[in-house]
Amino acid sequence: MSENFVAPGQQRYLRACMVCSIVMTSARFREEGCPNCEEFLHLQGSSDQIESCTSQVFEGLISLASPTRSWVAKWQRLDGYVKGIYAIKVSGQLPDDVRTTIEEEYRIQYIP
Amino acid sequence: MSSDGPRHGGDSDSEEDNFNPAPADMSDDEEETAPRAREEIKDDGESSPVHEPADDDDEDDAQPSNGATKRSTSRAADEDAEDVDGEEEDEEDDDAGVKKNADDEDEDDEEDEEDEDDEDDVHEGHRRKRRRDNRASRLFDIEAEVDDEDEAEDDEKDGEEIEDFIDNAHPDDIADTERLDDDRRHRELDRRREMEASLDAEKQAEILRQRYGNRRPAKGFGDSAVVPKRLLLPSVDDPSIWAVRCKEGKEREVIFSIMKRIEERIGTKDELGVTSAFERGGAQSVMKGYIYVEAQRQNDIMIALDGMLNVYPRTKMLLVEIKDMPDLLRVTKTPNLEPGAWVRLRKPAKHNGDLAQVIDVTENGLEARVRFIPRLDYGARDDPSAMVTADGKRKRPGVPGPRPPQRLFSEAEARKRHSRYIQGNPQTNTWTYNGDDFENGFQVKDIKIQQLIVKDVNPTLEEVTKFASGAEDGTENLDLKALAASLKDSNANVTYLPGDVIEVYEGEQKGVVGKATNVQGDIVTLQVTEGDLAGQTIEVPNKGLRKRFRTGDHVKVIGGSRYRDEVGMVVKIAEDRVTLLTDQSNTEVTVFSKDLREADDIGGQGSLGQYSLLDLVQLDPTTVGCIVKVDRESLVVLDQNGEARQIMPSQITNVLPKRKTAVAADRNGSEIRLDDVVREYGGQQRQGKIIHIHRSFVYLHSNTSRENAGVFVTRSSNVMTIAAKGGRISAPAASGPDLDTMNPALKRNPNGTANMNPPKVFGRDRALGQTVNIRRGAYKGLLGIVKDTTDTHARVELHTKSKIITVPKADLTFKDKHTGRVIDINQRGGGAMSGGRGGGSAGAGSRTPYGGGDWASGSRTPAMSGGTERTPAWGASKGTSHTPAWSRNADVSGSRTPAWGDGSRTVNPYDGSRTAYGGAGGRTPAWSSGAKTPAPDSFGFGSRTPAYAGSGSGGGGGGDTWGSKTPAYGVSAPTPGASGNDTWGYTPGASGASHAYDAPTPGAGLGAPTPGAALNAPTPGAYSAPTPAALNAPTPGGGWQGGWGADTAPTPAAGAPTPGAYYGAPTPGAYGAPETPAAGPRYTDDD
Repeated sequence: MSENFVAPGQQRYLRACMVCSIVMTSARFREEGCPNCEEFLHLQGSSDQIESCTSQVFEGLISLASPTRSWVAKWQRLDGYVKGIYAIKVSGQLPDDVRTTIEEEYRIQYIP
Repeated sequence: MSSDGPRHGGDSDSEEDNFNPAPADMSDDEEETAPRAREEIKDDGESSPVHEPADDDDEDDAQPSNGATKRSTSRAADEDAEDVDGEEEDEEDDDAGVKKNADDEDEDDEEDEEDEDDEDDVHEGHRRKRRRDNRASRLFDIEAEVDDEDEAEDDEKDGEEIEDFIDNAHPDDIADTERLDDDRRHRELDRRREMEASLDAEKQAEILRQRYGNRRPAKGFGDSAVVPKRLLLPSVDDPSIWAVRCKEGKEREVIFSIMKRIEERIGTKDELGVTSAFERGGAQSVMKGYIYVEAQRQNDIMIALDGMLNVYPRTKMLLVEIKDMPDLLRVTKTPNLEPGAWVRLRKPAKHNGDLAQVIDVTENGLEARVRFIPRLDYGARDDPSAMVTADGKRKRPGVPGPRPPQRLFSEAEARKRHSRYIQGNPQTNTWTYNGDDFENGFQVKDIKIQQLIVKDVNPTLEEVTKFASGAEDGTENLDLKALAASLKDSNANVTYLPGDVIEVYEGEQKGVVGKATNVQGDIVTLQVTEGDLAGQTIEVPNKGLRKRFRTGDHVKVIGGSRYRDEVGMVVKIAEDRVTLLTDQSNTEVTVFSKDLREADDIGGQGSLGQYSLLDLVQLDPTTVGCIVKVDRESLVVLDQNGEARQIMPSQITNVLPKRKTAVAADRNGSEIRLDDVVREYGGQQRQGKIIHIHRSFVYLHSNTSRENAGVFVTRSSNVMTIAAKGGRISAPAASGPDLDTMNPALKRNPNGTANMNPPKVFGRDRALGQTVNIRRGAYKGLLGIVKDTTDTHARVELHTKSKIITVPKADLTFKDKHTGRVIDINQRGGGAMSGGRGGGSAGAGSRTPYGGGDWASGSRTPAMSGGTERTPAWGASKGTSHTPAWSRNADVSGSRTPAWGDGSRTVNPYDGSRTAYGGAGGRTPAWSSGAKTPAPDSFGFGSRTPAYAGSGSGGGGGGDTWGSKTPAYGVSAPTPGASGNDTWGYTPGASGASHAYDAPTPGAGLGAPTPGAALNAPTPGAYSAPTPAALNAPTPGGGWQGGWGADTAPTPAAGAPTPGAYYGAPTPGAYGAPETPAAGPRYTDDD
């Protein structure tokens, strides 16, 4: 797993996945996709998809070291996800088509 | 797992049979199995004490079947049964005890997965063993687990295609699993290689299990599989959370640093014990300055944060209580922006704080298209901003200087300088200018929502109206609903004051009504007045509060809306919208209850800034007005001409303070002051209370009139006193100290006014010290001396017995104390004094004609006519000469009538009076002042001369005084006789017209020389005095002479107390002047 650290100077490029709320730079989203949701979001290499399925507007960062043991992860329903930085609140709405797809097959990420 | 595979071979049909676990009572039939298994679980649970040692095993035993049951149930019966599943799980949890809590879900998941396997893997023993192994050593279990996961992954893949994996995939599952087994392993290997090397197997397994374990049920059952939050509440087994101080604004960096450190040390021997860390920073957050770290032990945190920048683990670290933990992660729902909503801009620095309206929101809700009023200078300041600074760098295009004001976009303006930057369509009125879009004058821009202030927008109506009026057709299309919504969520400016009646409309205490007793920050203390809690005092946050009013309450709008400061009565209440009928305009307005207060003042706001109703204000140097109406931004004043005009406060020069001492004379000459009630003479005969006196105008306030707030203005000479404040009697029959004398008109004709009603006596009441005869009442006929007087009454010390009684002045007859003659003390001293001397009779005679109501009427003309009447009197001495004399006077001071008009009466009389009282000092200015001086002079000489002569004859001292005072006179003073002659010479010299004077003068002159003639002397003096007085009085000359008289008076006064009374009398400059000269000598004589 690559570094989840983002230098302060790069933090302005951070985006949060609207499904799993993982926070990464847009560059990383483009290169690797969302580690949790890639199979249905297909962010890898697709700037458009990144644009529509991730959000620059998020609040509260969680540095998740141990998704299984952490209560925070459980509470945030991150306990199935990979380690990394997550957002507590992500603003924005998934495009409808993506949303329906996900709803049909997966549970969607709630935007509390 | 791999060993399981072959067993099942390809016979999926036998699956159900094979599946049956160890317990023998499981039937082959799936339909039967389900209920049974369930029963078994329950039995297990209940009977667990019995099987105590085997509890876990039992559990395990039960689990597979349970799992299978679940599957089969859901498969066979009804997919929605997951709810039931959930419940069952709950039951299990309960049964199994707390210790399992943490792992329960995982296990459930596992079990679910394993169920699948179990479907293949019929071998119960193996299964149980595996479970045990799993518990004993997860590491050992990896393979199996991973296998599970892999399988699951495959399943998932199937599921992706087939959608509902369990329903559809199950029959073929085994075969698929079988077939894919090898591939799966390869892939797993590849995948693992991709994984970070440092990630240990257990973690990886866990992650994978979590990942897919979690997702699978989700995939199978949809959203409803999400575990309710209440089941996720933290327990004691969960790691604790500590709050650690950090540098404000650096929360995110710290979180990333922690992440970095975690990743650095993972897999090493000093792996961090921190499971997670998070921050809730943000500009508005109350939780900034802290990060929260989750770990089992505090020491883990110390290690993890040791030496890290911006975070201070060594300062106090707070353990967050378990019950508070969920609150840390609570998120507030961002209000969704709706088109039409009002927001404030944060970002284009030029527009920071400006109001904007949302037109549209992008699909992902991250950007909004807003319109706002542009701040353009159309390049007016372009040049300076484009200039290159000295160091060759362009100036930063930040916020250079003051920002231009908000104005709608104007194409014409833009074209002036930047015609090439502008393009657009005049038809639709859309333009692009300098890269910005404008529609209908508004700038339209896409702005990220983080650059919008959505909360506490508080648009004022002024701002909003700008948007509304900008509509194409000019009609106001205010979206009041959106406005209301914007206003509603802003409680920021709601202030409650102790005494406000407040209703709780939100939360547990909803419906409670009480009176605020204390307000501290956001907490309002309520004394509950209604409901069950009545009488109690509760504290509530002001968020869920609103003010409560009742229909009929008298309220005032205190803020927020353009109806600010309106006062009115509540007529309707709907939710928190209150409709009220304003007092001032009788219109209905609707405002939010938060903008209302109970009003304690009636009738609208009485003031605008420093101006309040009924104030007298100066509009320009010649115009004053009384404020009769105060609007929100303007005033209505009634100016001195009776004209009501609407003005802006800025047009007011200043407020004239109310002068309590202001005095005027009514048409009767009575003194009128503030608060007196007067009535107009003629006209509408309106009656009112005086609220202002300004020069000759009085402002009256009447309660019977509604026009101009009951205020009207009139001239003071046009009103009659009805009732004076404090019972002043303004028109007493007898003379009394009355400032009416200020009315110069009244003063004018002193000699004619002997028995004038209005007392125009300055200073001492002339009646004082007089010998009087009581004409009526119990003491009728008795003689006494007046000791004290009021306006109407005199206190008389009786001669007969030592008693002082109070008698109406009207019942007194004044007598000369020496001669016993009846005198009229109101007459000029000359007459009165010389009464016995013969001159008195003459004086009386002359007086009589004047005595008429001419004076009372206040019209001077009669006075003049009095003068003419006098003429015969004079005529005796030298009738013909009179006229010239008059004319001569006229020459000097202008025609007398005008002279009167001119000479400010007020001033002169006062001066005169002052002179009389005050002495030489005061006189002199009286003299010098005004253009009268010449007139007095001419008169003075004439009249004085005799006086002088008199004094001269009377005593040198008097002469000295005179002489000392005016050298000019002094010259004549030395020799009375000579002076007399001089005077003679003078007078003719001055003007032949002074013959009139001549007559008296000689008399005086003649009389003066010989003391014996002293008696006579007065007479002419008296005569002469009146004459000039009559003439002079009108003209300042009177005053002047009075001054003189006063001067001379003192000396004689000392000698002759009685005359003193006369001196007092003379005081009214009017007659004073003539008298005094005459009197002076006379007193001397008396002495």
